Amino acid sequence: MWVDLIIALVKILFIFAITVGFFAPVLTWVERKQSALMQDRIGANRADIMGFTVLGLFHIIADALKMFTKEDFIPDGANKILHTMSPIIALVPALITFAVIPFGGQYTLFDKEVNLVISDLDVGLLFVFAIASLATYGYVIAGWSSNNNWSLLGSMRTASQMISYEVSMGLTIIGILMVYGSMKLTEIGAIQENFWMWGIFLQPFGFIMFLTASIAENKRIPFDAPEAESELVAGYFTEYSGLKFGMFFMAEFIEMVTIGAIMTILFLGAWHIPFLTSATLLSWFDFLGTTGANIVLMLIHVGVFFGKVVFFIWLQMIIRWTLPRFRYDQIMKLGWKIILPLSLANIMITGLVILALK
Amino acid sequence: MAYYVNRNTTMTWWERSYIPEIIKGMWLTSRRFFYNLFGFIPFFLGTEKDRRIMTVYYPEEQVQYPIAYRGRPVLAQNEDGQPACVACGLCEIACPAYCIHIEPAHNTGKQNQYERWPGVFNIDYAICIFCGNCEEACPEEAIFMSDDCDISMLDRKKMLYTKEQLLTPVADLQKRIEFTRNMYAKWNY
Repeated sequence: MWVDLIIALVKILFIFAITVGFFAPVLTWVERKQSALMQDRIGANRADIMGFTVLGLFHIIADALKMFTKEDFIPDGANKILHTMSPIIALVPALITFAVIPFGGQYTLFDKEVNLVISDLDVGLLFVFAIASLATYGYVIAGWSSNNNWSLLGSMRTASQMISYEVSMGLTIIGILMVYGSMKLTEIGAIQENFWMWGIFLQPFGFIMFLTASIAENKRIPFDAPEAESELVAGYFTEYSGLKFGMFFMAEFIEMVTIGAIMTILFLGAWHIPFLTSATLLSWFDFLGTTGANIVLMLIHVGVFFGKVVFFIWLQMIIRWTLPRFRYDQIMKLGWKIILPLSLANIMITGLVILALK
Repeated sequence: MAYYVNRNTTMTWWERSYIPEIIKGMWLTSRRFFYNLFGFIPFFLGTEKDRRIMTVYYPEEQVQYPIAYRGRPVLAQNEDGQPACVACGLCEIACPAYCIHIEPAHNTGKQNQYERWPGVFNIDYAICIFCGNCEEACPEEAIFMSDDCDISMLDRKKMLYTKEQLLTPVADLQKRIEFTRNMYAKWNY
């Protein structure tokens, strides 16, 4: 029992370390550097300690210091409690979704089955979307409580955009559920050990629609109407400063990681390497003993999983720095008139194909 | 209500389906990304002098400006160590920003002294607009635009340069002198 508790704690600490400690800060740097390289620039490189810049990595420290030391400003007429609460409401769901996201398979370590997921829920996929949609409240309350026209407009746009795209997002994953016959994320991951069972082959249109809908959910360019700089100052977080602004910022980057992880599990074969089953890998490292081989396998799988996540983050960054912003009516049109019917058609075709193959 | 602008563009079905065009755009940007990313590797290894990125780290790295570049105006100092200027005041008149101040001095009877020379020659770079009119107006080839643009400072008073600070040996300005001769000869002054 104690062992289970310790294993669970280790997994939680690992997830926290990798999201809050690694991905969220490093992505701020990656965003600057990648956009710079795409536009033939050099990017952030001025923060230095004793003359060393380390490719501008010290900007992370500078950013963090700035956010911690800035004045925490609450405007006149703002609802203080809600104004303070909303960044937390926005950030926490992004972190909670990682509770059901498996970042590796099952391994036998010291005669003990270790499942690399914090909580292996039977309705994992549903849980992810249920929790992720809670974040909408954070954004809506943020805009409403800060007593600012632009914030309110931004939060209204957030609400409508997120609700519209949640519909098409939910319908898109139904195709995946029909194909795999399970909502358990670990099971969906395990099925994809066979390369030709990867979601991207079984649901190619679902992949594109899900990617679009999830970028819209994350409110990044080209769907960044809620925080459109040129129209609404900064949208729902106009009146936020210091660490509260930092929490919104962090929520955005952690959601990027979440999207990457979910896309990896549903469409890109989770933690599996193409044409290399776990059994083959285990037989390669057989000379290390059962535990040793399992540890090596675990490290490979976790590495592969996060490699795929990094690929998806890269893809989102490329999309963000390539496309211009949609107009608001275009966003709504794309959501309701294009993706929604297409996802319904996708469900129907998937159903027919499954019926025909039976 | 959405307002539709007629842009007189007819898109094919392929273009209107959006996805292929997005992929085309992403292909372009990601190609630039990897091209520039791998351009750093030979630079850091030292096998190549330049990165593929054109941007330079400005204060540390500097590029050679083209000869037509107009930096701060300087006074040409001839081989005797004296300004070539004869204090005629034409540049002072030509200056649209009134940043040049000249007080002429004449021969005091000393041997080897010039007939007429500027006793005081000040240019206030805080006022100067780098138009190059002074260079164009000068009949004696005495004032030239250098390629130095690094003259920002914290104290505005320090930007008033006196004659001693402005003097630059004529050998350093040779390229610019040739350039101005070619340039202004065309216009037949």
